[in-house]
Amino acid sequence: MTTILQTSADWPRPLLGEAPVGPAPAADPADLDAAVRAGAFVGLTRALRDLGATLTTATLAESGLRGRGGAGFPAAQKWRAVAATPDGVRYAVANGFEADPAGGTNRHLMTARPYAIVEGLAIAALSVGAEEAILAVRAEYADAVAVLEFAVAAAEEAGYVGEDVLGSRRAVRMTVRTVQGAYMLGEETVLLKALEGRRGQPEQRPPYPSERGLWGRPTLVHNVATLAAVPWIVVHGADAYRAIGDPEAPGTVLVQVSGAVATPGIAEVPTGTSLAEIVGLAGGVANGRPLKAVLVGGPSGGLLPADLASTPYTFGALRAAGAHVGSGSVVVADDRTCIVDLARLLTRYCADEACGKTIPCRIGLRRMYEIGERIATGLARPTDAQLLADLGADIVGSALCDHERLATGPLETAMRYFRPEIDDHILRGVCPAGVCALVGVAAAGTAHGG
Amino acid sequence: MADLISRPADLVSTARPEPLVDSLAERLLRTQAPQRPQSTPVIRLEVDGRVVEGREGQTILEVCRDNGIEIPTLCYEPKLPGFGACRMCVVDVAGEEHPPISCSRLAEAGMLVQTQTEEVRRLRRTNLELIFSDHNAYCLPPCQNKCPSHIDIPGFLKANAEGEFRESARIFKRTIPFPSILGRVCPAPCEEHCRRDEVDEAIAIRDSHRYAGDQVILAMREQDVDPPVPFELQPKSGKRVAVIGSGPAGASAAYYLLIAGHDVTIYERDAAPGGMLRYGIPEYRLPKERILDPEYESITRLGGRFACNQALGRDFSLDDLQNQGYDAVVVAIGCYDTNKLGIPGEDAEGVIDGLEYLKIATLGLTYPGHAGTRVVVIGGGFTSMDCSRTSVRQGASEVTLVYRRDMKDMPASGEVHEAIEEGVTTIFQAGPTRVIANAEGKVTGVEFIRMQLGAADASGRRRPEPAPGTEFTIECDRVLLAIGQGPDLSWIGGDSDGVEATKYKRLKADAVTFVTPRPGVFGAGDVRNGAQTVVAAIADGRRASYAVDAFLKGMDLGEIRTRQTLAEPQPEFLSIVPFTSEVKAPRNRLRSMPAEERRLNYVEYEIPYTPSEAVAESTRCLQCTCEAIGFCDLRRLGIEYGTTLKTLEPQNNRGAGFRSVTENRFTGSNHDYIRDDSHAFILREPSRCIDCGRCANVCAEVVGAACYDFMRIGFDTLVTTPLDMSLNDTPCVSCGRCAETCPTGALMPKPRILEKYEVDESRCILCGICVDACPYDALRCGPDFELAHVSREEPMIDLIAIAAVDRETEMTYVRRERDWLERAIASGRDVGPRQLPVLPSSLAGGASGNGSGGAGHPHNGHNGHGPAGGGAAGHAHNR
Repeated sequence: MTTILQTSADWPRPLLGEAPVGPAPAADPADLDAAVRAGAFVGLTRALRDLGATLTTATLAESGLRGRGGAGFPAAQKWRAVAATPDGVRYAVANGFEADPAGGTNRHLMTARPYAIVEGLAIAALSVGAEEAILAVRAEYADAVAVLEFAVAAAEEAGYVGEDVLGSRRAVRMTVRTVQGAYMLGEETVLLKALEGRRGQPEQRPPYPSERGLWGRPTLVHNVATLAAVPWIVVHGADAYRAIGDPEAPGTVLVQVSGAVATPGIAEVPTGTSLAEIVGLAGGVANGRPLKAVLVGGPSGGLLPADLASTPYTFGALRAAGAHVGSGSVVVADDRTCIVDLARLLTRYCADEACGKTIPCRIGLRRMYEIGERIATGLARPTDAQLLADLGADIVGSALCDHERLATGPLETAMRYFRPEIDDHILRGVCPAGVCALVGVAAAGTAHGG
Repeated sequence: MADLISRPADLVSTARPEPLVDSLAERLLRTQAPQRPQSTPVIRLEVDGRVVEGREGQTILEVCRDNGIEIPTLCYEPKLPGFGACRMCVVDVAGEEHPPISCSRLAEAGMLVQTQTEEVRRLRRTNLELIFSDHNAYCLPPCQNKCPSHIDIPGFLKANAEGEFRESARIFKRTIPFPSILGRVCPAPCEEHCRRDEVDEAIAIRDSHRYAGDQVILAMREQDVDPPVPFELQPKSGKRVAVIGSGPAGASAAYYLLIAGHDVTIYERDAAPGGMLRYGIPEYRLPKERILDPEYESITRLGGRFACNQALGRDFSLDDLQNQGYDAVVVAIGCYDTNKLGIPGEDAEGVIDGLEYLKIATLGLTYPGHAGTRVVVIGGGFTSMDCSRTSVRQGASEVTLVYRRDMKDMPASGEVHEAIEEGVTTIFQAGPTRVIANAEGKVTGVEFIRMQLGAADASGRRRPEPAPGTEFTIECDRVLLAIGQGPDLSWIGGDSDGVEATKYKRLKADAVTFVTPRPGVFGAGDVRNGAQTVVAAIADGRRASYAVDAFLKGMDLGEIRTRQTLAEPQPEFLSIVPFTSEVKAPRNRLRSMPAEERRLNYVEYEIPYTPSEAVAESTRCLQCTCEAIGFCDLRRLGIEYGTTLKTLEPQNNRGAGFRSVTENRFTGSNHDYIRDDSHAFILREPSRCIDCGRCANVCAEVVGAACYDFMRIGFDTLVTTPLDMSLNDTPCVSCGRCAETCPTGALMPKPRILEKYEVDESRCILCGICVDACPYDALRCGPDFELAHVSREEPMIDLIAIAAVDRETEMTYVRRERDWLERAIASGRDVGPRQLPVLPSSLAGGASGNGSGGAGHPHNGHNGHGPAGGGAAGHAHNR
């Protein structure tokens, strides 16, 4: 089902392991014995018996691992924050709610490498002193839920998790919770609300979940891809991990390349790999057409033009370019795509998926979409470009959660990199890509305006 | 427990925590809410350049409120932790990339906070504009919005419908002193915007206040009952005001200044007061003795004096007045100089100033030589109509009215059909090019040219442009000019220096504060605006009186401006949900005398309502006003941040005083929700909801009923009941806390009258929700309510403990009661002989002995009026 893209042989693969490249996994990933033979739970044993919580956390800090949920927060800082709280009850939550409809990396990871996640979560829980560990998985991912439930049960039976982890008298009670809901559940405070059985709406941060999370208790929330890297780091050491990829945010990331590429699929690449290289892994743009834009980061990601294809895939560089790591999806658009059309579609998605809590998000994003719609249909007002910029800045300025803050991205980057194309729509009433049906005759008449 | 579970020996450990029971209720009980200590360390931070003190653990908002610094919020509910939905309370904190919201951000020592920077104000303004772009509702109803004086139309119609005509007139007089005069001469812009029109026909608003006003006049004439005074009469201020001009603007200014306690003298150029009402409006439209004089008597009855035959510039000057000791002078002399056509032949004999003509006619005199002549009237305003119809009554053989625009653009379009009935010929879209005179200089005809309509001008009407080659001539003997008037400002200068004329030849006076460049001199009415309607002049006079009053009380200009602006603004409104369920009832129209009859005399030709017609017509009003007006936080903030319109600023919407919807930058799709009045006590108007979530939070966290929540997703999110069901189908306890907390008019208490609750004590489980939920604390002090017959000191439910609980950190009543006993003992109260609350043993916490002893007989003490020690004490305590 999922295609794993062939990557350079000398790239290490801490997340996907040494599994063969191709459409079907060779062994049953839920087979505990096979996994243990391949080295699973070595890291847990080591963290528990040799390192202890402090050294494990120190190793993690040394490795420079940053959260793979999109924001790239240093993982060890979160662990220390949770561990430092005076509260006796803490939680560790693995975020397996992959919200991005174009994403699939978490799903693949959960089905192909369940024990890496279970082990990573167990190490994390032990290190921060959480006795409850929750794997929150999107309910629609029935395959991932089944695999993880099996894996947790098998691990518990074997004593790797449960009331007494490896005879240490330390408990990590691990459960798989399916959560159902909208896009917003990918945001950590929203996910926690959903786990509490309440409407998925974000909370103001700070306080961060590491201070007040699930049920008001300190909670460690990590993306499953972050946790899956933890055992590897414990086993191979911090230096080995830090040697991979970009020194600022070392390690590997899972990217899902889709859109107008020859062979869409998932690849594990070191951070710092350029976008062009990632697109190249998928065989380049399909049918040899020219690359027009790359959407990096999911529906709220940024639309980066072809001349920014050399941008390295790192948190900082992508953020500076107006995009973000987000779900790890990289969607390629060729020259038949209209940027206005694409950006308004993405904004519409983000607006429709807003939880409705805050005014700038609920109404503001909708208004941004409506401006995009006006531009795409040729009914734009001369002031619309400025209005779009002003509104986007104000939404970011008073945003509550990251969805709200990032959802202005598609239109904002479209304005930043594709201004001539937008001006063609607004001022000349033509869509260069021939996608938009511009009904507004008035658009041609305002060519002198703007 | 643990022993019963068999496990591999090597995995069994001795100290095993209790297994987690994964239920919401269990977790709520297990989770200790963080208790705020009795006293926390004091911290100091700097807010807006001022060092303020707060306590650790307080949010920035709490610290600011404690120190009297205002931060706007819409979603903050003081009983609950900050929610963070409205994003209005953003503040600038030094060192932060994005401004945090002050309701959730804890104050820290040494923090540098600014609450009013350019950036946070911009963010708040954007938020408000976004809210208004999806706020499918309005504050003032459209009729009131469109009335230049903003009469409380639903208010007086309601009084009318109840037969309270005197009260109706009183409500009317709050904004316009003359209900009967306006009931005859007002063009009624309100009726054009009446929402009853969506059901069948607009309400006859003008005829309704006319009836109410007539009842007041009748009572005054026949029983010498003073007309109602709209406001409490203020004690005499000792200040003297001279009002120059006794027309609508001057009279209205004088009226409200008299109520404000000032001594007012009105100077009038002519022999009798009334100005244009007396000398410009014919008797058949406004009877002078029967209507005008009695309504003006309300001014003299309040102590006002008229000084007639006193003209500014002829008999006295501004210097004279101020030398006589007047503290303020209001110039309201109106517009009496008819504009010139500016075409050849205009000076020919027989070309007459329309106002001159009307003045003679309204005095009851026949204009010399008018009978049998052919008359052409040029103009489209009320003056032209009065000239035409008066000419008919004076026996002109042929009357032709010529107007350069279309009929629908005519200011007096409502009266045209009546003029035509009386025999006037009307020609539209034609303008005069020259007046044709014979050798003796006498008019023989006027040449006109056809007009075609061009682009819309500043007034929104299409500008007429001559169509070459379409000239035609109308033969006539007389030409009456009624093409608008300007004020006579020839008195400026000399002893009346210091005031100025604008370039449009109007008196220069501020649109909001009415001040002229000369201190103590104000300008109001047509002299400031140019010729307008009576109602606009009266509105101007009233607003000027407020400014004069403020001036006499020593306020400075800035204060006056703020006060004036706040008094009159109206937020814009969007498209409106149609009323679909109303029963159709046609408008009650005033009947008129037949045209053949009325064209021969000056008798008022409209036949007034019968009492039942007046009541029936007023009953048709849908009362579509917002119940929350005056209490609405959104409106207040909208005004403060300039996202609503300011009626007083004429530059808004071309002087019409109404800011159109398109001026909101974000106008786009918006929601139409259906009003829900199914509940007996709570009225829900979802179109006014701004999704702040306060009702949902209060209902869930304070009351415990959880009737509301955010429903749906994205732009369509709405705080409502599940499936939008009626509140009757939810666990609603009718406590009204949701309506109390609603910042807008989305949830409003319905008026209700309840004398007493019956409590079935045999069924009461002492849950305390009624006490807790009661928004007015009625269950704490009323003698007739549940548990009120036992002592407050020793109640069944520990009300004192409940009252002392810090609600911000408590979630449910049950949890609050767990440590009841400890706290009662700690506070030194006697807990000995009385009954204790019945709580499940799992919740009873530290309560022992007395607590469990009383648990078995919960109703003993409850029913014991006398014997229990608390009984007698309770009665005493209740008093």
